[in-house]
Amino acid sequence: MRKLSICTALFSLALCGILNAEESMSMNAADKAMYAEMLENNPAAMDVAEGEELFNALIGQEAYAKMLGIKVKDLPVTVAGFPRLVKAAGKVVTLSQSLQMAAADQGKAIPKLESKEMVKMSAYVKSLANDKKINIDVKANKQMQEMVALGQKIFEERRGGRGLSCNSCHSADIVGSRLRMQALPDLGSSETASAATWPAYRMTQSAMVTLDKRMQQCMKNALLAELPLGSKEMVGLEVYVAHKAKGNPMQIPGLKR
Amino acid sequence: MRKIMMLGIATFLGAADLSTAIESPDAKAILLKDALPAAKVHTMPAGCLTDNAASIARGNYIFHNLNGKDAKENPPEGLTRLLPNGKEKQMGNCVACHNIEGAKGYGNIGPDLTNYKALYMDSGARTGQFLYQQIADPRKDNPNTHMTVNLANGLFSESEVCDLMSYIVSKK
Ligand code: HEC
Ligand code: HEC
Repeated sequence: MRKLSICTALFSLALCGILNAEESMSMNAADKAMYAEMLENNPAAMDVAEGEELFNALIGQEAYAKMLGIKVKDLPVTVAGFPRLVKAAGKVVTLSQSLQMAAADQGKAIPKLESKEMVKMSAYVKSLANDKKINIDVKANKQMQEMVALGQKIFEERRGGRGLSCNSCHSADIVGSRLRMQALPDLGSSETASAATWPAYRMTQSAMVTLDKRMQQCMKNALLAELPLGSKEMVGLEVYVAHKAKGNPMQIPGLKR
Repeated sequence: MRKIMMLGIATFLGAADLSTAIESPDAKAILLKDALPAAKVHTMPAGCLTDNAASIARGNYIFHNLNGKDAKENPPEGLTRLLPNGKEKQMGNCVACHNIEGAKGYGNIGPDLTNYKALYMDSGARTGQFLYQQIADPRKDNPNTHMTVNLANGLFSESEVCDLMSYIVSKK
């Protein structure tokens, strides 16, 4: 697969030419065809379908809803509000962590957050909420209030090899500027709506990537030490980033550069 | 009665088990190690700003490259792709945010540094000390700056900050 010459689904084709100027490659006819094809037919749809099979074998909607303390018909709306306080955990958890709980509840082996199985299952379960708006409520309880505050702190804390924070590149006063040839995305805007569009197929990596992994990739690129998946701080970041995109409809799997 | 109590205990234990099923590693130590020292004044060493060609060449290289591994050209005298510990040497990637003479694929987050000497130094608007502080730790001047910290966190040595300054001020 040709990786570099495919451009983002988020930008117009004209802008793509500019974005890829560094590689001095504009889209040729074959790339354009592939781009259009991917918009039509997201390669990550396969992963989501596999996720459905894995989820049904491991947990199933009935058992998952029961563990969450809700009715099956309320799954979509509930899924569109993660990370959330889950009673059986006594704390705010991500959707993937809630799947770990549900697997344990079924007496099954608990998939690691990093595992391919978990990535696929979480994409499938998130896709149950497609077209529902993100409804995360960061004021719902004390735990959510603490987590959004922690998330904001981590988002704004300068650290690492270059002394940057997430906010250095994603604050309101800077989005749209160019870092090298890349426009800095507003994580909460309707065009980007990060929390509503990951897991997404990343064309530059030819693979489906989750939101927390995507955040780790920004850390790595900007020389911030990577925080481990599932840590309180990563859950807080996800709460904070999901809150930014509140009101945007879920569209899983997304398609990204 | 007994049965019900047992069940109650079982569900209780079950719930406790559920929270232990969650993967939730502690990140405190990582964050502590990654923390940034507080912003402070950095005084420009003597002989810092120079028209020495080797210093300017190093500044040029640090300015335009992200790291030693990805750089297309070999580094000039006094710079290496790898650190003594075998890790890749990080460069400044200043061009990600600043335009300057000959910049390719530059960003526009920071001000354009083209023609810097004539525009800002000769007029007296900027001094060597200002430049040194700005590159060493821009938080001193602007706590909310979007710019990288380059000396305070050990990314570069004092003389490398001087190389960058000398490059920015040099005739191109
Ligand atoms: C040095 C600049 C920089 C820093 C620091 C940075 N980012 Fe990013 N981030 C970017 C750029 C540029 C993109 C878009 C890249 C692309 O188009 O592929 C991006 C993309 C993202 C996305 C995906 C946006 C989408 O398409 O939905 C997320 C989420 C994100 N960043 C979160 C973070 C978090 C969290 C941090 C801090 C831990 C962070 N970023 C730090 C530059 C940065
Ligand atoms: C992520 C963005 C970013 C990077 C990377 C960056 N800068 Fe900056 N730079 C800025 C911004 C923004 C300013 C404007 C002042 C401020 O906000 O603090 C600035 C200001 C400056 C100034 C002061 C210009 C003036 O006269 O007012 C100099 C000099 C400078 N940068 C040099 C560098 C050098 C050298 C590097 C690389 C080692 C670098 N910058 C990397 C964003 C950046």
